[in-house]
Amino acid sequence: MSLLQEEREIILNNEYVDNFDFAEVEDFVKNASKDLFISHNFKTKNKMLVQPRGGFPTYDKQYALNEFFVKANVDVLPLTIDSNTRLNDYATAKKMLRLSEENEIDMLNGYPLVNHGYRTTRKMITHFNKPVSLRHGTPDARLLIETAIASGIFEIEGGPITYLLPYSKNFPLDKAFLYWKYVERVCANYSKLNEPINRESFGPLTATLVPPCITIVIQLLEMLLSLEEGVKSFSVSFSQTGSMNQDIVTGAVIRKLADYYAKEINCEDASIHLVYHQWMGAFPQNKDFAEQLINMSTVIASMVGADKIITKTREEASGIPTKEANAKTVANTQYTLRILNGLPKIADEEEEENLTQEVMDIMSAVFNDSADTLWRKVFNSIKNGTIDVPFSPHIINNNEMITVRDKNKNIRIIKRGKVPISDKCFKYEKSKCDLTKDTTSIVNDIIHDIGIMQW
Amino acid sequence: MKVVTGVVGNDIHVVANRLIDLSLQARGYEVFNLGVNTYLEEFFDAVVETNADILLISSLNGEAEGWCREVNILKSKYKNILDNVVFMIGGNLVVGTGDSNDIVPRFQNYGFDLVFHQVDLNTGLDALEKYMSEKK
Repeated sequence: MSLLQEEREIILNNEYVDNFDFAEVEDFVKNASKDLFISHNFKTKNKMLVQPRGGFPTYDKQYALNEFFVKANVDVLPLTIDSNTRLNDYATAKKMLRLSEENEIDMLNGYPLVNHGYRTTRKMITHFNKPVSLRHGTPDARLLIETAIASGIFEIEGGPITYLLPYSKNFPLDKAFLYWKYVERVCANYSKLNEPINRESFGPLTATLVPPCITIVIQLLEMLLSLEEGVKSFSVSFSQTGSMNQDIVTGAVIRKLADYYAKEINCEDASIHLVYHQWMGAFPQNKDFAEQLINMSTVIASMVGADKIITKTREEASGIPTKEANAKTVANTQYTLRILNGLPKIADEEEEENLTQEVMDIMSAVFNDSADTLWRKVFNSIKNGTIDVPFSPHIINNNEMITVRDKNKNIRIIKRGKVPISDKCFKYEKSKCDLTKDTTSIVNDIIHDIGIMQW
Repeated sequence: MKVVTGVVGNDIHVVANRLIDLSLQARGYEVFNLGVNTYLEEFFDAVVETNADILLISSLNGEAEGWCREVNILKSKYKNILDNVVFMIGGNLVVGTGDSNDIVPRFQNYGFDLVFHQVDLNTGLDALEKYMSEKK
């Protein structure tokens, strides 16, 4: 038995898991409808794919949500997992699922996939015959991903950095790298049977004044960690920054550098996609304003040339959205995309050059780390502050970098900490900002800059 | 002067915590920031370990109410080591809505010298500075 298979047996040896029949699962993936694979949809649907967010605890409610989405002409269905499952606490998830089923009140903030099991979930997924994207936030997602693929979910979001630094205070980062290595291998293995399984990184990170160079570096590194294990279809992503120009520049640089670095490790045969998240920061309470913001995000995603857009709802500021509100955004976004024609081509060469240089400065510092494998180099780089994510709650994050918005609302670095962007780039960043302010007014600016979309 | 700070309980809201850290540093304090998701015992141990003058606990999701009832009980376990430490708390101190006129004395009873419910960060820190200079 291979080491991977041995690890598999250990993971599945868990009282909350139904009996895995690997031969049957393999057969299912081999013969699964191509429509279920987002990698296939990227190739054949000549449009930006629209994907909402959403997950309910019970099978019936999730089924009803999917029905609403399909009626609204959705391209990709989401399956958001509850927070107990994300922490591998299947016992609590099971109890809360039962309470949700018996009382008609949702006791979970998502779908407890492991407890439902793959046999049940597969029925729903094959019924709708749309690609499904797994949204979670799990550092140890090994069992979850086995269950997802067996269910017919052929897009897996996340990664060791992007699912840890924004969400956890002290889950060990080195463990997360190893658990995700397993996920990449499983995805790579299943990719050989039919269309490839798509992996997607979570670019928004903390969605709080994260400068594009940090977002892009982390996207590229998670992409490389995935491709080196044999994944053949990967999506890099980022969320609306607050400046249309900065979004367009970020989109151009991330696309260019994803191709460049994939080629560097001889993985140019993999297909790389770009995903854009509608505004991920604090939303306006006013639901009509929220719709305006969502619509503007869709326009920017078109300017960026994203392959997929992930939507928000008019109820974002008030909690988990109803299925009606959620489906409404899908229909509205599809409408905006259909009428949005003849977009101008915009490029800001100066900004692109600066951002490209910043990303390459940080990437070379990561590659120059003395560790023997890429994941260890990345681990060391996060630990020593080469990579620094503003507002990460994790104890390993360096927290020295400070960013603010310039007068055009671009996110700029005014303190670089140990992030090795060159003096020239740092000077460029600072030249856009008013540096005469004292810390008290900078703190007030930061509070304002975080909440720019609120009224 | 040394300050230990952090967010109490299972609260993971990190933004204000960073801004408190920055603002304290700008005012010349030496800051030991325990970050989000910190339990009372961890705060107390850090105060002892760093020999801090001030413990500044914050809360955003309102968990403070549940946790801070234990402050005096825990204080007594540390005997007189914490006698000269100024206890301050700020943020959203209760779940849902509450009246500052009730909340402030309640938290003073829990063992805090300075209590700020939904008060602007700099107003709170100005009050801290004033309190510290009067204490001398």
